[in-house]
Amino acid sequence: MKLNIEGLLVYFPYDYIYPEQYSYMLELKRTLDAKGHGVLEMPSGTGKTISLLSLIIAYQRAFPLEVTKLIYCSRTVPEIEKVIEELRKLMEFYSKETGESNNFLALALSSRKNLCIHPEVSSLRFGKEVDGKCHSLTASYIRAQRHSNPNLPVCRFYEEFDAVGRQVPLPPGVYNLDDLKDFGRRKGWCPYYLARYSILHANIVVYSYHYLLDPKIADLVSKELAKKSVVVFDEAHNIDNVCIDSMSVNITRRTLDRCQNNVDTLQNTIHKIKETDAAKLREEYRRLVEGLKEANVARETDIYLANPVLPDEILQEAVPGTIRTAEHFVGFLRRFLEYLKSRLRVQHVVQESAPQFLKDIFDKVCIDRKPLRFCAERLQSLLRTLEIADIADFSAVTLISNFATLVSTYSQGFTIIIEPFEDRTPTIANPVLHFSCMDPSIAIKPVFQRFQSVIITSGTLSPLDIYPRILDFRPVTMASFTMTLARTCLCPLIVGRGNDQVALSSKFETREDFAVIRNYGNLLLEMSAIVPDGIVAFFTSYVYMENIVASWYEQGILENIQRNKLIFIETQDAAETSMALEKYQEACENGRGAILLSVARGKVSEGIDFVHHFGRAVIMFGVPYVYTQSRILKARLEYLRDQFQIRENDFLTFDAMRHAAQCVGRAIRGKTDYGLMIFADKRYARADKRGKLPRWIQEHINDGSLNLTVDEAVQLAKHFLRQMAQPFRQVRSTPATKGTEQVSTFVVWKGRWRHGYRCLNLAFQSQQLNNFVA
Amino acid sequence: MDDQGCPRCKTTKYRNPSLKLMVNVCGHTLCENCVEMLFVRGSGNCVQCDTPLRKSNFRVQLFEDPTVDKEVEIRKKVLKIYNKRDFDFPSLREYNDYLEQVEDIVYNLTNNIDVENTKLRMEQYQRENRDLIQRNKATLTREQEELEELLLLEQQGNEQRRLEVLQEEQRQLQAKRKNKQALLDELEQSQLPATILLAQHKVRAAQLETQIEQQKQTVKPTNLFSTGIHMRQTVSLMAVPKVEEVLYHYKPLQVKTYGPPVPELEQLGRLGFLNSPHSYSLLQRMSGLVSG
Repeated sequence: MKLNIEGLLVYFPYDYIYPEQYSYMLELKRTLDAKGHGVLEMPSGTGKTISLLSLIIAYQRAFPLEVTKLIYCSRTVPEIEKVIEELRKLMEFYSKETGESNNFLALALSSRKNLCIHPEVSSLRFGKEVDGKCHSLTASYIRAQRHSNPNLPVCRFYEEFDAVGRQVPLPPGVYNLDDLKDFGRRKGWCPYYLARYSILHANIVVYSYHYLLDPKIADLVSKELAKKSVVVFDEAHNIDNVCIDSMSVNITRRTLDRCQNNVDTLQNTIHKIKETDAAKLREEYRRLVEGLKEANVARETDIYLANPVLPDEILQEAVPGTIRTAEHFVGFLRRFLEYLKSRLRVQHVVQESAPQFLKDIFDKVCIDRKPLRFCAERLQSLLRTLEIADIADFSAVTLISNFATLVSTYSQGFTIIIEPFEDRTPTIANPVLHFSCMDPSIAIKPVFQRFQSVIITSGTLSPLDIYPRILDFRPVTMASFTMTLARTCLCPLIVGRGNDQVALSSKFETREDFAVIRNYGNLLLEMSAIVPDGIVAFFTSYVYMENIVASWYEQGILENIQRNKLIFIETQDAAETSMALEKYQEACENGRGAILLSVARGKVSEGIDFVHHFGRAVIMFGVPYVYTQSRILKARLEYLRDQFQIRENDFLTFDAMRHAAQCVGRAIRGKTDYGLMIFADKRYARADKRGKLPRWIQEHINDGSLNLTVDEAVQLAKHFLRQMAQPFRQVRSTPATKGTEQVSTFVVWKGRWRHGYRCLNLAFQSQQLNNFVA
Repeated sequence: MDDQGCPRCKTTKYRNPSLKLMVNVCGHTLCENCVEMLFVRGSGNCVQCDTPLRKSNFRVQLFEDPTVDKEVEIRKKVLKIYNKRDFDFPSLREYNDYLEQVEDIVYNLTNNIDVENTKLRMEQYQRENRDLIQRNKATLTREQEELEELLLLEQQGNEQRRLEVLQEEQRQLQAKRKNKQALLDELEQSQLPATILLAQHKVRAAQLETQIEQQKQTVKPTNLFSTGIHMRQTVSLMAVPKVEEVLYHYKPLQVKTYGPPVPELEQLGRLGFLNSPHSYSLLQRMSGLVSG
């Protein structure tokens, strides 16, 4: 169907459109018009992706000079593939409607592990190994050495790509990872490097967050992307944590030991090279005296995305004399390393700010701030000069040098916490130095600065105003859309009491209480008796789940539940969990269904969808607060309070509620889907908690379902399930495809005149109606 | 760490956790007991390299690698003499060359390369630059000054925050107490029925809560001048970077319909838009279950 969004002709590959999709596109269009950033929330299952894609592509076609590229960031490979499939559908629709083959190039990019077609390299199991092996075959100096020694191993795909691949651009079309691999095999080109090269001129790039947010990767892949791009972060409810993780550094004793080995290797290599090829070191030295001019020119001309690890001051100056020669730099690293080792030898927890750390390091080992700041850049230069093949081996020393640069560059927004042991095992010495970033805006700042529009979108972004605050940007649009439903297919219930009127809560004081645990058990038992097919239950933590399940076993509740359904449990082991998931789905397909016990913030709660019968009910046992005793969290909360005026409790509640919403949102993945959402904690009834749920869930919580007992909840659930079990015709939920019907269904359907008129207007523009009016 | 030990008596940290390793200028370790035993007279030779050592120069080993201890020791000594600052040089390049020279001296001394000559060079330098060294000794480098400043700021910020939180809590406590007292007074004196008073009290308490909430929200750190400059910060005289930003200009929308003109309101009924799409039979319509 063709749509008119404020004068923009949008091709939409489906014959019908939901009102919320229309409003979503409208907001999106306004954001693009204003060349600003936007925060948009729309429930999952309402076609967020296709709305985004069709509008932005229409915009790109209408104003090819205003928006040149769409960068679509998603979280996981399956999600990336899903986006590409939608895109393919849209592109087919375009060529069908316009009759001409369009010259859009869209492609997905992932790591070497997912894209490599070299027979030996691609068979390796871990991403790091693949990267290292690939690097040892394709690094520039390795290839230079091959001129003199043709016996060295070679990746023929890369050679082929390097020889001809750059001259011929990738033909227009939509490529997912498999398409790229096929194309690579056909041509004999390396798909990974082809994709990395092609994203520069592609119209649409779909890849993972990390390619933009992780400074190390972004520097390699994304720094040359055009300024006039639209960046979309999908499923962005966790984006602040991604930012923080990408800037934080954790240093353990093992890292330091590996780093020590690295430094020794460096020293030996330097010795060797000095004897054989001293000119090379001299050349590097000369370059360093000149300063990092090249990088500076590139940044000034605005070719590159800024890199938070390479601050601007560095580029304008030459490397300080203290670390200019290779030996001195190795000595410097050694001193820094020994200093870190001595810091890790603490007996009690230390928390200090970056300035304190710098002062201490100057007093102890006479290291100034300036050489520290250049450390990361200097190490890269040295590694390049020494022509060390296996970069993966040097990850430890790279980490340390990044840490050195960060700690000396940012005096605010970071904290250093040294813990001699883990909280759970106070007798086992396992010292860790957490250099933790507390300000997510540091990592994402270059993205907001560089690209003209950044869209942050997800199914659960409530409360909307907190994201601009913690990411420190000014959005031009912020909107939350609800789901229009033909029947209320979601039923949120807040169970606050057990049948014996004991308050249900996972708060610290009552979590060991037998009555609470028993009531939770009863809730699950009763639900397992009435809910068909799958139930997913989320606990607040692994420890809590273990305790509860153990005591359910003792009380015989588990046995009773197992009369109704099979039970599967998520564990911290990824392989075990995926096995459990597989079996759970098998059990849902057959017989009486199953129960999956899992943990909020775990793997299941984030990426797995429980469509239709895989999740007919989600039970959230307790409020999933983070572990509040963690020092890193405390430091972050303090920082949020001081810098952004966000109070601790607000942030904690916000964080807990976004995870709760993620968990319960797993069950509803579309309008034909239906599911119970049971919040089993009396604290959910409070306005401050409830108000932080997404609008589309909040709307369906009425006063009657605020503080239910288990029995009452069962009654309501029974009623709801019986209603939902009635045969349900697609036509009634979604406007029909035939022209005449479409108009009036819209009008009758919602009953609201304004709304009806808008849809009417919409439908008019769709060509199918022309005949009818004439 | 546990496998570190004294090279002479072979005691290790593992066997004797209270073992204290000492290191002298030559960079070789000995444990405290061996030092006591060997250097009873106050001086002696190193067991490993035969360098004459003084007992008073023995330090507790800070780092795992004793050469680092040695290097740091030497570095501190060298830096006391070579303490020129970047503003003592006409260009950054020369300063960097100077730094490298210092680094060379430290490297030579640590690795026992050309020690005599290097020492001579140092002495000569010291003689030549006596005044400068004396002058620079008193001042900190610019970077260190910055650091000190930051630390001071941090301290003050912490203190201030603590006081603020304390005051805030006090105020809230008092307000709540006053509210409660007011309720008691009213219950005692007022003619109104108790339920109304209680309801009023409830409303007042809620208002108080919201007020407190609002106050919390509006609390702003007061370490900023109104111009946005931090108090007690050295003000740089650089021009403030101007933010060039095109303001969003709203243009009224012009709807391009790709079809016939949209019908007027009154036309809708006439053209049959409001009719139901379903054609119901007479029987159905008569039943009254459907309309239209």
